[in-house]
Amino acid sequence: MVDISSDVSSRVIEPQTAVARRPMLAMDEVSKRFGSLEVLRNISLSVSAGEVVVVIGPSGSGKTTLLRCINMLEDYEKGIVVIDGEPIGYRPGATPDQRQRMSEREIAAAREHIGMVFQSYNLFPHMTVLHNVTAAPIRVKGVPRARAEERARELLAMVGLSDKMAEYPARLSGGQQQRVAIARALAMDPKIMLFDEVTSALDPELVGEVLAAMQELARAGMTMVVVTHEMSFARDIADRIVFMDGGVIVEQGKPDQLLFSPTTERVRAFLRRYNDRYRI
Amino acid sequence: MIFDPNFIARLIPALIEGAEVTVELAILTFVICLVWGLVLALANSAQGPSSWIAGIYIQAVRNTPLLIQMYIIYFGFSMIGFGLSGFNSGLLALCIQNGGYVAEIYRGGLQSVSPRQYEAGRALGMRRSTLYRIVIIPQVVARIIPPMINQAISITKDTSQVAAIAVMDVMKVAQVWVESSANTYDVFLGVAVVYLVLTSAVSIAGRLFEHKLAFAQ
Amino acid sequence: MKEFAPLLHGYWYLLRGAGMTVLMAAGSIVPATVCGVLLALAQVFGNQAVRSIVVAYLFLIRGIPLLVLLTFTYYLLPLTGIDLPPFWGVVMVFAFYYAAFMSEVFRAGILSLPRAQWDAARSLGMTQRLMLQIVIFPQALRLASPPFVSLCANLVKATSLVSIVGLWELTMASREIVERTLAPFQIFLGAAVVYFCICYTLALYGRYLERRVLQGH
Repeated sequence: MVDISSDVSSRVIEPQTAVARRPMLAMDEVSKRFGSLEVLRNISLSVSAGEVVVVIGPSGSGKTTLLRCINMLEDYEKGIVVIDGEPIGYRPGATPDQRQRMSEREIAAAREHIGMVFQSYNLFPHMTVLHNVTAAPIRVKGVPRARAEERARELLAMVGLSDKMAEYPARLSGGQQQRVAIARALAMDPKIMLFDEVTSALDPELVGEVLAAMQELARAGMTMVVVTHEMSFARDIADRIVFMDGGVIVEQGKPDQLLFSPTTERVRAFLRRYNDRYRI
Repeated sequence: MIFDPNFIARLIPALIEGAEVTVELAILTFVICLVWGLVLALANSAQGPSSWIAGIYIQAVRNTPLLIQMYIIYFGFSMIGFGLSGFNSGLLALCIQNGGYVAEIYRGGLQSVSPRQYEAGRALGMRRSTLYRIVIIPQVVARIIPPMINQAISITKDTSQVAAIAVMDVMKVAQVWVESSANTYDVFLGVAVVYLVLTSAVSIAGRLFEHKLAFAQ
Repeated sequence: MKEFAPLLHGYWYLLRGAGMTVLMAAGSIVPATVCGVLLALAQVFGNQAVRSIVVAYLFLIRGIPLLVLLTFTYYLLPLTGIDLPPFWGVVMVFAFYYAAFMSEVFRAGILSLPRAQWDAARSLGMTQRLMLQIVIFPQALRLASPPFVSLCANLVKATSLVSIVGLWELTMASREIVERTLAPFQIFLGAAVVYFCICYTLALYGRYLERRVLQGH
């Protein structure tokens, strides 16, 4: 387990709960198709500052695509995404059809505010751990090297990897690599963090250390959208759980309400299958 | 007679003189191909007519012998009143053919970087230029060094074919000396040693360079 | 089209030369493959002494141009008293030279098999011999087949070098026609097209094999 002291993290992560509950993420009627397959159908989702939203659902339900549309790694045919009042990807027009695509440069600038952690870590293999964390702040935001490194040390201490700063990613375990990836995303001081099945590629005994780091982040007041298959973790960390199936949001609510007394048959069926599989 | 000291004493300076031509050809070819191959690879990966023109060029030069390419340039061009010296014909042919091979090395290097690396960079807000400069190109460079070293060795050996168009490289020098003396073994040993020294030098220099750029994979 | 009249008169002679080229290449590929497989096995499974000998052999072959070996076989063979027709002399040189490169291809094929395949075979109680025969070699040969085919295309191109030591094949045939017709551009271009047809066919076949390997059939 990772030793994460909460006074370190509250110093490192700027608490956002204090601010009035302004919407940090607003997705408005986003639709996306791959060929003839509709992956997202008119998705609208609002996440307030400091809120942790966990997205669950069967595979192929569009969860990952939803995350990738938020920071425009995936283009979408319809709809608008707004982060803290600033659009990313498309500027709204007078009517939904008149939205305007932003330039690549503007999209890149908007992505600074969105941290993303991937299932397959995607660390840069040719950079040390420290360099992985400092590269974007220095080259994208122009942070002076000394300050970027100081901040990277704090973040790496928070995820419990102070002793690995000079290593290359290939020498780390999956859990360690994923914690570096979290630190790398946090180094940009994002307003919101997206987690895409970040424990799915890990050995079971390494899952805990990554989840602990995420839990610490949530406690520090970070706004988070988390796609996961870990139901008990979802219950612990989420302020709200969103259930997706077939490209639509079927049901959403407080964790206990959605997990223990869902109102729709589709959620009930999904949870039944899940419990059958994982009952010991 | 084998290992005739007097003969060897006269042979060595001649071989060194030939080796200088070989080295000059090899270095010029490699440096020009690094640039020409990159141009071809970028043209080939772009959209539109430049892509298929580069594609046809690469296939055409890779699937015909270097010697025939040299003959076309050396004999063919002089026939149509555009004569080039043996050295320049050889250099041109070496660059034309190896440019195609080097282009394929660049292409393989670019393809070997996972699309996820591009995504990770974009998700951190990197612009295209930053992404290529600090994420993609360093990885491509690390991956193309071993095949580039092999290509440099292959170029060094290929330069021997200019002997066929009367360039006094180390191969041609050896041919001349064999025909004018009975010390066939000495000449063979001498020219073999020259090429082994040159290719080993390329290989060692390449490995030092590779070591400098290495990261734990 | 009047400029290409010499080609029309000489095309039959060129095609006969091409036949000789194919014969020479095919005659070399067979022994080169056999030697290549043996060298690869020696390097993977041999003891330290055997491995060192193979490594030294590969170092020599990889560092000396084929043209040097051909030229000196031409001059040295009569001196050794071995009475070998020139055709078989060059086939021997090609076999020894390309065996070195083929051994690399086969060795890479054996070594790139995942460890799990060896473990799985051992855990089923297979003897070393059975494991190699039914698990390792079939897969290694499949992995090695695309680079093997491109090496064969490379060998076809390299047969053009034997014209420098006076053997008759496609390149020599085209030089003879050029001497009679004084039309180097057209004739050498024609020869290049013939080489291209042979080598590009092999390249396409190699690419087809590569796709099959990638798809895991």
